[in-house]
Amino acid sequence: MSDAPATRPPTDSAEPAVEPTIEPPACGLVTRRQFIAGLGATVGVVAAGAYGISVWARREDMPATAAPSKSTTTSSSSPSSTTSLPPGAVGPGVEGRTLVVVEMGGGNDALNMVVPHQSIAYHDMRGGLAITDPIDLDGEIGFHPALEYLAARYHDGDVAIVEGIGYPNPDLSHFASMATWWTGMPGAVGANGWLGRYLDAVAGDDMLAGITVGPGPSAAMLGERAFVVSIQDFSGLAPMQPPWMDGTDELVAAWSGFAPAGMYSTGMLAAVQSAIRSAAAATDILAAALDAGTDDEPRLPGRQAGGSLHGYLDVAAQLIVSGLAPRVVYVHGFGDFDTHEGQADRHRQMMQNLDDGLSSFFAKVDAAGLNSEVVVATTSEFGRRIASNGSGTDHGTAAAHLIVGSPVAAGRHGSALDLGTVDNRGNPTYTIDFRGYYASLLEGWLGVDAETVLGGTYETVPVIGSQ
Amino acid sequence: MSVSPQERISHVVRRLGIGAHGQLVAGITSVDEAIATALDLTAEPAPPPQIPAPRDVDDARRAEQRRLPAEFWFTQMIQSGRLIEERLVWFWHDHFATSIRKVRFPYLMWRQHLTIRRFATGSFADLLHAMATDPALLLYLDGVDNQAGAVNENFGREVMELFTMGRGTYAEADVVACAQSCTGWVVFIPRPGRERSRIPPDVEAWTSLFVPRRHHAGSKTFLGVTGPLDLEGAMDIILERPETKAFVASKLYGEIVGGEPDTATLQSLVAAFADYEIMRLVEAITATPQFLADETISSKVRTPLERVVGGLQAFGGHQQTLRAIGAYLETVDYMPWVPPNVAGFPRGTRLIGPHTLVHGFDAALAVGPDVPDLDGAQILHRLGIYDMSSTTRRVLDATVDPRARIALALNCPEYALT
Repeated sequence: MSDAPATRPPTDSAEPAVEPTIEPPACGLVTRRQFIAGLGATVGVVAAGAYGISVWARREDMPATAAPSKSTTTSSSSPSSTTSLPPGAVGPGVEGRTLVVVEMGGGNDALNMVVPHQSIAYHDMRGGLAITDPIDLDGEIGFHPALEYLAARYHDGDVAIVEGIGYPNPDLSHFASMATWWTGMPGAVGANGWLGRYLDAVAGDDMLAGITVGPGPSAAMLGERAFVVSIQDFSGLAPMQPPWMDGTDELVAAWSGFAPAGMYSTGMLAAVQSAIRSAAAATDILAAALDAGTDDEPRLPGRQAGGSLHGYLDVAAQLIVSGLAPRVVYVHGFGDFDTHEGQADRHRQMMQNLDDGLSSFFAKVDAAGLNSEVVVATTSEFGRRIASNGSGTDHGTAAAHLIVGSPVAAGRHGSALDLGTVDNRGNPTYTIDFRGYYASLLEGWLGVDAETVLGGTYETVPVIGSQ
Repeated sequence: MSVSPQERISHVVRRLGIGAHGQLVAGITSVDEAIATALDLTAEPAPPPQIPAPRDVDDARRAEQRRLPAEFWFTQMIQSGRLIEERLVWFWHDHFATSIRKVRFPYLMWRQHLTIRRFATGSFADLLHAMATDPALLLYLDGVDNQAGAVNENFGREVMELFTMGRGTYAEADVVACAQSCTGWVVFIPRPGRERSRIPPDVEAWTSLFVPRRHHAGSKTFLGVTGPLDLEGAMDIILERPETKAFVASKLYGEIVGGEPDTATLQSLVAAFADYEIMRLVEAITATPQFLADETISSKVRTPLERVVGGLQAFGGHQQTLRAIGAYLETVDYMPWVPPNVAGFPRGTRLIGPHTLVHGFDAALAVGPDVPDLDGAQILHRLGIYDMSSTTRRVLDATVDPRARIALALNCPEYALT
């Protein structure tokens, strides 16, 4: 099965989840009564289990992929903008282009990624955590020394640096800040994601127009109609493997038999049958795309892809070069950028991963001749405090982000942060609204009406095209 | 296609309880009996486990702090004879959506769960008052940061928008006044090695307490009432508003029947809810003609929680079932205590996207593995499905492995709806 489904399928709940660490259940014979008793009695079995650890606990300071509430906002009005968009609401967009968003969860220390090495305030406040050997870009800023590939691309004219991205009344909690970045609508209760709204408006019947690569769906991709598929690795969209079955292919094949084409139903039953047909088709199309043309090429198999940016970007590159050409690939959940402590080593490692991952990603994209069709943009819920806390940095606000790819207008965009002027929590004031950053991508790269997607007009930066 | 009598009975049970209760449904012979059975609260409630209060925040991270509540709650959903109680406990958790990812301490989520359970079938007014100073909710909606001179509006806004009156029924000035009224509440979280110098000795750890010096004691005007209001006063003013009865009644109608009540129906529900007695509202909802109407039956998307609980009621589980339930509900983002945002859990067509549908097969990993060799129709009856297409039966009957047959049944179109 490789044809796109004929019907317009319903929506997906592309919301965040954390990576399940399930193991196959024990296959012993257990009766219902034993099961019920077992809930109370098999303490030892379940106690240290992944269930407890992965489901009910988070690291104290890092809500990982949590979907946040709005909180501590001091804005005086609740947004009244539409949080879901109908098809066609933003124009058709540009076909064939892919935006890859790389979310650096936890709050990336942008000051040590794009280093203001001439700033006295930076060196004074950062102390021992200041980067002393950046790769200079223009005599004023430089990349973290691990970003050798990106520095070379910068000099080739393929990297846009957008400085000072933030928003008014910033919240310092991961939880609230992630919600803000995911929805693009601070404080809007239950709003869809900014990319989910975009996909609702442009994707039509293409259920693979937006694909999340990571431990689970992202709220940034949540929409009403769009078929936002979430995959973790090269196994694609597949259920967990039952221990009593060799493969889940036959299960999924039988499943599609519930909804043969041409079956007549009405109401919700018809919607569900259509959704099953589409989901089964998506499973097959994705499996083919993830398997296409890569026989001789070593790639990270199965689970090894999980949790690493390199692995996720490997999957993202495959989705693009396979011809699937999704409009958006959202990569997240690959590292903990929340460097309150041990920052020097931890952040260096993550910068290295970013550089290596993008290097290998673009090698595949370029080899397929698609370098003019792909742009990668980074996000993170906030930057980090200018001042070091000793071995790390605490939550900050505004930050620089990178847009990488041949189509970008290289160089510096926006205005650098004024590190000498900080608020009562020690954070500088943003110079470009993050929604302006989004709008620059939506308009400049995806070619749609950003105002409708974002529910407002924000100053953009010309990050795409020659400068 | 007309609805069979047993399908209608099953509808009553699955809408008023959690899951499918297939074996219970099989023994019920009328819709009236089904309603009476589902609303029957005469059975003794199961005693919740005694979970000792953690000594401090480190102790609060012990695995059993998370495991015991999960065991208890899922067990209740699967087998409690007080069906409506489980429906309402879930509903109020969704309504007062609170996430452990922000609260962080399972013990506080557990305390909140017990509070919800205590008032779930009682008075909404009592429930609202209890939740307004619930420690987990104070943390989740930043009530602990809300103090005189630094008002945090999060709870003040959400309590009206999401919990009581609904959007568009108050002004921004009311949000500020509500938040000011609610200032001063904090949660006593015991930290290791820290003296409890400023906490009065009679205050228990992990409870909320009112700190007068953090309270905005001045006069404010909230929803037309002016005075030195506090949290209780503000909640009482909210409860006086007719919008509150209409909003909550309409939401519970949506949970049980689906959609929104028409004007006349809503009026009758509001009248039944005059004293905020939750069971009177439930009874009024079950008495509406819409509840039993053909077009109501199988008109809602079955939630992942209902899917897996119904499967466990039908076929039991195994020693790793709790873990499998968790893995499934995490994957499809429907984990109790982890609502995706303040608006609660997704519903409707958002639940039939490819990701959620394909991972519906993960629910099968929680079930069995010692399952009977039943044909398609028998399996569906166990799942409370009586009206089924010949296609569905054929696919199931053609499946050789009885476990695969059940996995498929849990993912057939009929079972995807409720």
